Order: sequence, then structure tokens, then C-alpha cells
Amino acid sequence: MSFRFFLLLHVQLCLFSQLPGEVLEKQAWEKTSPQSLEDLREIQSQLQSLLPEAEKSVVSIETGDGAGSGVIISPEGLVLTAAHVIGSTGKRMKVRLHDGKRLSAVSLGGSELSDAGMLQIKGRKDLPFAPISAKDLSSVGDWCFALGHPGGFDSRRGVIVRLGRIIGKKDETMQTDSRLLGGDSGGPLFDFEGKVIAIHSRVSTQPDQNFHIPIESFHANWDFFRDQSILTLESLAEGGFLGISCQESARGLLVIGVLEGTPAEKAGIHAGDLLTQMDGKFLSTRENLTISVSQKKPGELVRLTYERDGNLLSSEIKLGRRSEE
Amino acid sequence: MASLLTLQVFALEDENQSRLLGYELRLNGKSTQRAFAEAKEEALRTTVRLERNGKLIALGLLVDPSGLVLTKASSCIGAREASLANGERYALRIRKRHEPTDLALYQLIGEGDEFPAVRWSNLSNLENGSWVLSAFHELQEIRVGVASGKTRPIEREGGVMGVILGSSSKSPQGITIREVVPQAAADKAGLLSGDLITKVDGRRVKTSNHVVDLVNDKDPGDVVVLSILRKGDDRDFRITLGHRSVTFDLFNRNMQMSGPVSKRKDNFPLVFQHDLPLEREAMGGPVFDLNGKCLGINIARVDRVTVFSLPSKIVRERLEDFLSELDAR
Repeated sequence: MSFRFFLLLHVQLCLFSQLPGEVLEKQAWEKTSPQSLEDLREIQSQLQSLLPEAEKSVVSIETGDGAGSGVIISPEGLVLTAAHVIGSTGKRMKVRLHDGKRLSAVSLGGSELSDAGMLQIKGRKDLPFAPISAKDLSSVGDWCFALGHPGGFDSRRGVIVRLGRIIGKKDETMQTDSRLLGGDSGGPLFDFEGKVIAIHSRVSTQPDQNFHIPIESFHANWDFFRDQSILTLESLAEGGFLGISCQESARGLLVIGVLEGTPAEKAGIHAGDLLTQMDGKFLSTRENLTISVSQKKPGELVRLTYERDGNLLSSEIKLGRRSEE
Repeated sequence: MASLLTLQVFALEDENQSRLLGYELRLNGKSTQRAFAEAKEEALRTTVRLERNGKLIALGLLVDPSGLVLTKASSCIGAREASLANGERYALRIRKRHEPTDLALYQLIGEGDEFPAVRWSNLSNLENGSWVLSAFHELQEIRVGVASGKTRPIEREGGVMGVILGSSSKSPQGITIREVVPQAAADKAGLLSGDLITKVDGRRVKTSNHVVDLVNDKDPGDVVVLSILRKGDDRDFRITLGHRSVTFDLFNRNMQMSGPVSKRKDNFPLVFQHDLPLEREAMGGPVFDLNGKCLGINIARVDRVTVFSLPSKIVRERLEDFLSELDAR
């Protein structure tokens, strides 16, 4: 009884303490740029309040011929990393937790297009993990922080943190001015709510324009990656082929070009068409379409659903072979 | 009509997606730097450029109104001139050096101005994610970033010859040099792959580990004498040992992309680490917190994302010792 009352009171207090923040003004990290030392302090204290939990979810991955990083996103030990860190599916590797403990893991799947990769830590159900962001929540200008184990695990140095902002986000890449080094590959990029929004992929020759795999790439192909399938550039050549190029938009894939003589052209797909579904499944990213098509064999039929001039159309298309084009 | 509208919305969204964040809004953009206000002014006012033959070789920090400057000892050998952000130039005189911390004390020589001096931070452990800033080497702008790794000692790395040794069991006469790293110490001294090492500084060696141990006991810059058996002839070679980082980083892709790094980046009693994008020639300069208090001295550019800094506690202890040594004379 009194416990219940306490709960009620607590909820009310929470509501009250939330309200002023919402109506007053933006948080420092939501402004176009920090205006004062006060804003900088606010950014720092938000970062430092998120760090302890975020750091616990970061692992160093020892593949045998190098070291990368990754982030645990479930208590059972599902790890997001980069495809170039895991290399192939079903590979045994070791991961080191934030406290240095070594655990066995096996590589799952990924894609060489976006460089997204997954692996699974074995035999644990109680691992510290980081929440991942839902899709389409991060955008250019957002403050973020990168974590990783560059050069492998080092207990005296600990997890390395670097602050930055998203400077670009398009299709299967995100760019930030967070500074990165080899060995950071596969490590997580967090937003200022403490959620994983991307995975480190490649360093740029410009130290302040590095590349990450946006979390959207994982969301779009989750089952494919988890079920130990990997899209390699080689496997692309053997799979089915449509012959279109497109751009991602909020409601589907906007066709920007159709190659001459390809199955897509023969089926009457135009630039400007908005692809929404293949075989009844929603197409969320370019990579998602590429993976879906390449998993079919040349000669197989697929049904594409698309919008043109406000009309919903659908065509059955016989896939071709990439190497023929 | 409705469909037209949605298409327009798409076009807008799409532009939105492919736009890049303007340089001025980025972490080290002008707009972000402005927020650092007084801390920025403090950094520019108390940082000194040290030059040799008109070329910048290191930065330093003003630690006393009389014009005493602390800097990184191994970077500023032969420094003759100093300049400040306000354009004033001074001659320089070395007063003290200290090998373990790689710090040196200089005196600015000129009109007896009252120089600005850094205000020290008392912080003993800088928390990860704390803002830090330093003057950029032109002393017009600053660079900002965060403390990025735990405060810790950095172990000594001994001197290296730049050779890869074969296993000792192969040849009973000596240890085979399997490869000589191009441009490294052994290469410059004229060693060749296939040479057999029989003695190190007059001591007979039987295993490659023994060779490594004897050499590693010495510091970069020390000389080691190798007795070499080459095609039946015995010869001695004098090798001036190099730094591990400089010798083997050539093989490391990370380092290839890093640009020039400090020669000495090991053997420090305590450092904190940050990600400020500073050139090698900006080492020796001060690093500050948001209040414009000096957190320490940037003591080594390690790679493209890592700078080691000696914390203020170590720097101030060394400064006190320098001053009392000067008083004693």
C-alpha cells in the first residue's frame, strides 16, 4: 500500500522534473553549434554520464590475423562489427570484454557493400550490452562519440573515446569528424542518448572525415546477417541482376538510372519510379535491394512494386546475370 | 496533386540526406572554437613558438613572468629564437634539461617585459571525455578535442638496430641477420642480410634473444658495436641505435597515414591521452581545460589520433626542481 503510493509519487516527480527541460530550451548538443562555455560543459557532462555504460559494451575482436572492435547489443552476446573484421562466416574468434576477459565467438554474416558484420559470443546470457537506435533517428549535425580498441585491448589505456559530429549520411555510409585509427574498425558510434547509431568502417586520408556503417544497414538486413550469410562482391557477380541505380528516401528507393538492355529496362522501369517492395517485402535500403536480388539466381522471377505519378504499379521481372551486362 | 506534393517532399529530403555539415560547425570549426572564448585567449597568450633557422621545431609554455619557457627537450635541440602570438620575437637561452620527463627549460632574452604565465590546473586525474584544447602552431587558432584514454605510465622502449634475426640454431658461428630494415640504424651502418653477429659490445652471443636483450638495454642514440662475420672475414660495425617507433612504423599502415610522429613517444612517468589534431612541431606546448587552466604539456605525437601529455603535477614538480637547481648555483 505504502509502496504503491511511493511509486505514484515517484512517477509524478519524474514528470515534473521532465517538464521544464522540455518547454524551456534546447540541450546544448541540439543547438546548431555550442555558444558558450556553459554549452560545452553541458556536452561534456552528457558525454561523461553516458560513457561508463557505453564502454562496458565495447569488445576487442581477435581474429587471428589482426584486431578489430565491436559492440555487444544483447545479453546473449550478439555483436555488431564490420564485415572486414570478421572476413567470412562461421569463423572462430576471440573477443575481449571491457574487463579483459576472453570469450569464444563465431562470426555470423554481413555485407561487403556497407561493411556491416555480426558475430556471436558463445555460452553467455548476462553480458553488458548497448541499446541500438531505431532507424532514421540520426542526422547530419548530430553530436556523437566513437569508442574502440585501436591496436587491440590495453587494460591500462582502456577503451578509447573520441567526440565528433555527423558530417554526412547517405545510403550505406555515414561520415563523422570523430577521429579513428585502424583497430577501431567495427567499434560503435553512439548518439547523445547512449544508443548505437553506426559502426566504424574505414579511416579517411583526412583524419576528420571517417566512414561508418549506419545502423539502418543492420536493421534492413538483420535476419540475413544473423543467419550467417555474407554478401561478398564476388557473390554479387553470380547472383541475379536487375540493372537499376537508386537513392534511398523515406518511403522507398528512388530509381535514378536504368541500364540499357537490362531486365529492369525490359520490364519498363523508369528513372523517377519509387520502388517500395520486392516479392511483397518492403525495401528499406539500397543494400537491402541488392542483397535480395543477388540471393536469387539469374533467370528467376521477382515481383517489384513501385509508385509512378501517384499510381501503384507492379511488374514481374526475370533476373539477368551481372557479368553479361 | 497529392502525389506531386509527396515527390517534392522527397526531393527536399534527399537534398537533406546528401548535404555535408559545414566546416565551421565541425568539431574543430571556427563556430565551435568561438565557444571556448577565454580559454582560447589563454592558450594563445601563453604558448611560445620555438624556432631553429627560422623554422618551427616545437612549442613551449610561459611558466613565469620573467620569461621562462618549458618545452619538450628532444624536439627543441638547437632552438635559437622564440615568437609569441602578438608577434614579439626573442632570442633563447637553454637553462636546464631533464631526460626522464623529456622536459627542458629556456629563458626568453629581450626587453624586460612582464610575460604572461600559465595558470595551472590541480587536477590529478583527467576524466575521459573532458574537453581539452591547445594552440595551433601558428598561434592564431586553437584545436579542441577530449581526453580519450586513461592516465597511465608509458613504458620504455629500448633502442633498435632495425634488423630481423634468424634463429640461432641454424648457424653455430653466430646469429644470422635475415633482413635489414631500409633506412634504419643497421642499414646506415652498412650491415647486410646474411651477416653473422658473433659479438655485441665484445660479448659473445649464442642466441638471438641474447642479442635483442643486450641491444634493448641501450637507449636510442647509444652506440652498439657488433662483431660481424661476413664471407669468412671478421669486422666490427658501430651502430647508432634508432627509436623503435621510427624504425618499425614504416611497416604499419596506420603509421603510414599518420604523418610525422614524435621520435620519442615512450618511457614517460605518467601521461594522459587526447585526440587533438596537432602537428609534430606543436609538441612541447601546453594543453588547457575549459577554464583556461593548464592541464600539462603535449609531450609526444603518437599517431594521427593520439597525443600524449605530461600531467601538470609532473610538469610542476619538474619546474620546481629546475628552479631550485638554478638557485643553488
